[in-house]
Amino acid sequence: MFSIPVFLDSFEPLIWAARYTLLISVLGIVLGLVIGTLICAARLSSNMVLRKLAALWVSFFRGVPLLVQLLVFYYSLAVIGIDVPATFAAVFTVGICASAYISEIWRGAIAALPKGQAEAAVAIGMKPSDVWTRIILPQAVTISLPALINELILLVKASSLVSVVGIMEITRASQAQAATTFRPLEVYIAAACIYLIINLCLSALGRYLEHRTAI
Amino acid sequence: MEWSILEQYGPSLLRGFGVTVLCWILGTIFGMALGLVIALVQRYAPRFVGWIVQAYIEVIRGTPFLVQLFVLYYGGPLIGLRLDAIPAGLLGLTLYGSPYFAEIFRAGFRAVPHGQIEAARAIGMAEPTIVRRILLPLGLVSSLPALVNFSIILTKETVILSIITVPELMYQVGRMSAETYRYLEANLVLALFFWVLVEAISRVGRRVETRITKHLIERT
Amino acid sequence: MTFHTSIKAALFGLTALALGTAAQADQLADIKAAGKIVTATDMHYAPFDMLNNGKYEGLTKDLFDEVAKELGVEPVYQDIPWTAELPGLEVGKFDIIIAPVTITPDRVERYTFTLPIADASVALIKAAGNTELTKPEDIKGKTVGVQQGTAQARILQTFGESLGGVNVKEYGTTDEAYADLAAGRLDAVTGSLPNLTYLVSNRPETFALFDPPQYGEPSYFAWVLRKGDDSASFAKAINDALLKMTDDGRVKAIQEKWLGSYTELPREVPTN
Repeated sequence: MFSIPVFLDSFEPLIWAARYTLLISVLGIVLGLVIGTLICAARLSSNMVLRKLAALWVSFFRGVPLLVQLLVFYYSLAVIGIDVPATFAAVFTVGICASAYISEIWRGAIAALPKGQAEAAVAIGMKPSDVWTRIILPQAVTISLPALINELILLVKASSLVSVVGIMEITRASQAQAATTFRPLEVYIAAACIYLIINLCLSALGRYLEHRTAI
Repeated sequence: MEWSILEQYGPSLLRGFGVTVLCWILGTIFGMALGLVIALVQRYAPRFVGWIVQAYIEVIRGTPFLVQLFVLYYGGPLIGLRLDAIPAGLLGLTLYGSPYFAEIFRAGFRAVPHGQIEAARAIGMAEPTIVRRILLPLGLVSSLPALVNFSIILTKETVILSIITVPELMYQVGRMSAETYRYLEANLVLALFFWVLVEAISRVGRRVETRITKHLIERT
Repeated sequence: MTFHTSIKAALFGLTALALGTAAQADQLADIKAAGKIVTATDMHYAPFDMLNNGKYEGLTKDLFDEVAKELGVEPVYQDIPWTAELPGLEVGKFDIIIAPVTITPDRVERYTFTLPIADASVALIKAAGNTELTKPEDIKGKTVGVQQGTAQARILQTFGESLGGVNVKEYGTTDEAYADLAAGRLDAVTGSLPNLTYLVSNRPETFALFDPPQYGEPSYFAWVLRKGDDSASFAKAINDALLKMTDDGRVKAIQEKWLGSYTELPREVPTN
């Protein structure tokens, strides 16, 4: 019943498609880290308006499914004359969506830090920006590493949604392969193997970093 | 914008939302329970059991839910596992969520100061009691934000249940847009329902979080 | 794009929308000026559109290659999931949908169709070993799978009612319906005859056609353009090309290559 040849033949086109999966998720997480850090800083700032805006950002981009964000960003903006290329739309939406989760991860990690540290740093005359880059973030990174790696792995898998704007990543390529061979099970299991290899590497990286930075 | 279609499809959309919420709640509860078991097994079981559990975690975490669900539902009958759509969907959600919850609990347990556990041992507390009275309460408190975060991620994985014909929100919205060609309205409906659900979950999560941490701060 | 220009673009777009006449353009002239036609299709609809080891091929591609040649422009092929095709067409992300779309009265009201490119008659398949079901009428009281929101779904519904009840189960794509038939949860799957014929010839050990496979009124596949005056000359150019290709035998050759047989197609866009 299970066709081994179809299973094995599926690997080549799927590995080829994996570069889009990697491109979108890596760029997405980088963008997500940058924006997420800013959002987190805004959430913890003393300015009420900034705090509210950041909370709204998190609530919206965490709340609305990524698929819907993509459809709106790519197709609905075109209605009012803003035409963005597919790859840009994909990276941007994935990044924005990740930023909401990452800012929450930061917030949780920072909340876990003893409050006295930052106060002490300010007391000895450190600038607020230095308090962030030298005291808060390095420790927050250590604490939240498992959660960040989790997030990256989720992103690799969530990137399958970008097929909706016409990007041929692993999931889309396997759907196409399944429809040509009429053997979806074999093809999907092959796709699962490729995702697994990518994510095992990420997981191993995470464990290595976690081990190195353990307090 | 054509809102009259909402009159026609409103009831089926609401039904779909109900199925979504139900699948999410049950999937989260079962997933958390299984995740907790996995985290405890990892901490206390002998080495080789730990390896098996670790392999399970890596496989589930490393593959997309879509693929898992497809294999479970359409491939299951090949090995004699024939489930209906909703049971298959719930089983899928539970299996999918459990390793993430397990990792969150593991990190939570790691955050429990070692001294506390040693102190408990020193005063002669039995290991099961340590788990119940120290590891679980302290570990759960520090994993709460991450638990809420992942539960929210799980809400959106429920849309994938539509590929195995679970009549949840995505399935009903897909039907509406395919029959009426009203795509913008369909997207807005999806966005709105999910925003409401996620907002409700994070509000409840925050309330619980504040209450629990306040209690901790008062103690120290 | 700077923030300033994007605001301008947005305002321009809104104005155009408000006036309801997105600049009396002629789509054919635009395409010829650009030298290319941007198309969209769902590349998992064998034998019309498929990816064979990453290469796009199928009946649609062969036909459209020739049409583009007649028009003297380069075709640009894109894979877009079916659910995003009609919305993408409406907002102008592409010029034409070349996925085979069944012509139905309510779609004709909303979109411009080209001449038919293939027969889309509705047919039924069953599991290969199933001897209980032979003719289409046998599905009475059975569970039949179909793709959600398609013309075939509606035809099945009507046919089922005329038989006195069929349990219809809708799927996001036909692939899942085939998978569920193979898994034994369905008694039959309905779809268009060309797709099902191709499926059965690929997996004869798993699936079999009914005898006769077809039921209901005949229907046709065609390509889809935006509705409106600016697409009129574009539609006519494509139709002229299709007619020319029918007359010189190219359509017949392409149909025989992918479908195994030739069905003569209407020379006008059917409206019912």
